[in-house]
Amino acid sequence: MLGFLKQIGDYAKDSFQAAKYIGQGLSVTFEHMGRRPVTVQYPYEKLIPSERFRGRIHFEFDKCIACEVCVRVCPINLPVVDWDFDKATKKKTLKHYSIDFGVCIFCGNCVEYCPTNCLSMTEEYELAAYDRHELNYDNVALGRLPYKVTQDAMVTPLRELAYLPKGVMDPHDLPANTRRAGKLPQEILEETATPGDP
Amino acid sequence: MNPGIDLQGSFIEILTDLGLPQGAAQALWLPFPMVLILIGATVSIFVTVWLERKISAAAQQRIGPEYVGPLGTLQAAADGIKLLFKEDITPAKADPILFTLGPAIVVIPVFLSYLIVPFGQHMVITDIGIGIFLWIALSSIAPIGLLMAGYSSNNKYSLLGGLRAAAQSISYEIPMALAVLAIVLMSNSLSTIDIVNQQSGYGILGWNIWRQPAGFLIFWIAALAECERLPFDLPEAEEELVAGYQTEYTGMKFGLFYVGSYVNLVLSALIVSILYLGGWEFPVSVTWIASLLRVSEDTAWLQVITAAIGIMMTLFKAYALVFTAILLRWTVPRVRIDQLLDFGWKFLLPVSLVNLLLTAALKLTFPVAFGG
Repeated sequence: MLGFLKQIGDYAKDSFQAAKYIGQGLSVTFEHMGRRPVTVQYPYEKLIPSERFRGRIHFEFDKCIACEVCVRVCPINLPVVDWDFDKATKKKTLKHYSIDFGVCIFCGNCVEYCPTNCLSMTEEYELAAYDRHELNYDNVALGRLPYKVTQDAMVTPLRELAYLPKGVMDPHDLPANTRRAGKLPQEILEETATPGDP
Repeated sequence: MNPGIDLQGSFIEILTDLGLPQGAAQALWLPFPMVLILIGATVSIFVTVWLERKISAAAQQRIGPEYVGPLGTLQAAADGIKLLFKEDITPAKADPILFTLGPAIVVIPVFLSYLIVPFGQHMVITDIGIGIFLWIALSSIAPIGLLMAGYSSNNKYSLLGGLRAAAQSISYEIPMALAVLAIVLMSNSLSTIDIVNQQSGYGILGWNIWRQPAGFLIFWIAALAECERLPFDLPEAEEELVAGYQTEYTGMKFGLFYVGSYVNLVLSALIVSILYLGGWEFPVSVTWIASLLRVSEDTAWLQVITAAIGIMMTLFKAYALVFTAILLRWTVPRVRIDQLLDFGWKFLLPVSLVNLLLTAALKLTFPVAFGG
């Protein structure tokens, strides 16, 4: 008899505990309703890509010496370097250069190793196309610079979370020239620079 | 008791004064409340869909529909128009008659149930003696439609969904009916008007929720299960059953299920507010306020205000409950079918039985407080 009563008591306790947990859950959900939406309304608002953003690669045709380092460091040997050996000057002349961004993984090795810095990363990430062959950029397409988010009149640029002032979570309606939290990279460099350094 | 506004009475009186026979005047009156309630129920779909999407978005820190109409209020209309223009497909090996009949059988009883939803002393289509029982009877027709829809689709997911819907509705109807029975015991009537009147007079303190807290919870849980709302949305569990019995439906037939589920949610919320939250009663007794202001209860303007407050209170309570249902949707996970049946048969049923017996005992011992 006592065992039975204990069972009933335990069952009732469990039920109340379950109800309590559901109540706690409800209060959490309710509390979330008071928070501001984190939505970035994309075509109208865009986040400003960080300075180390690895977007579409930019290529400067005149700087390239056709050394093919980019091809060697690329995980899949993606860049296509088309050159001729000019016997008169005993130098390679670059005829054509292309990267297929449908295959590129944006690892940035080519940019890292390019001896003449003719490759660089841009902020462009809107690479949608109707045909995958349109993603195969030749040296003309690679030489184009993307539109900056901050200069596009149609777009409200929003700062990413790490670029907001201390304690601010919402990138909307920030006054201009508010500093981000922490020191800027160039300030850190200035502080650590020794007087004798070049 | 405050007679309140009797629109029907005054309308018939005017017509009989104009020389119409009593019967003809009554027949002329009939379509008005019906059309009004039909429009109200249809508009409530848009309101509820909008609330559901906006509250869901807020709970997930999104924005929700924004561009269709002010604050996205017309999103449901846009979706409805889209559904209307979609091709109406019947699967090749489906039973065409049952396939078409299914959604109709789901929707019609839900709209019919609005017959007994009162918004004021005389603001109800019919004050029939078996009021709340009619609702219980009508609500048990819907699973037949769901089963039909699931079975005739010739699709295993649909069949599973339909069977789940039937099992769920049958299991949760019993605790629900028992919870209603406890209310009926206290008000000595099945009529929804009488049930509300029995709660009136003491403002918020007189509401049934204080005398039937367990019944309120049981009823609300069972109502959520009947509406197939989360956490009891197994019949259409989209992650496991595609969309349950709705899988093969397109166009307006699918839209009918959608309409049915939202109207049913609002209806359940309205019924809960009538049974447990005092229906059209204001939290502070209007009679008491009137006597405090030394205004006669029969004053015309007071009656108009009371009626308006009554409608607003009923809707407010119902939508507060809809809000909790939506909040619950994003709080609790879906239960398994065995957990669902366990909960229904092994927990809700005994608890509601005990609740009923306790109510009966309390009614015998304290007839003053429990409607002897």
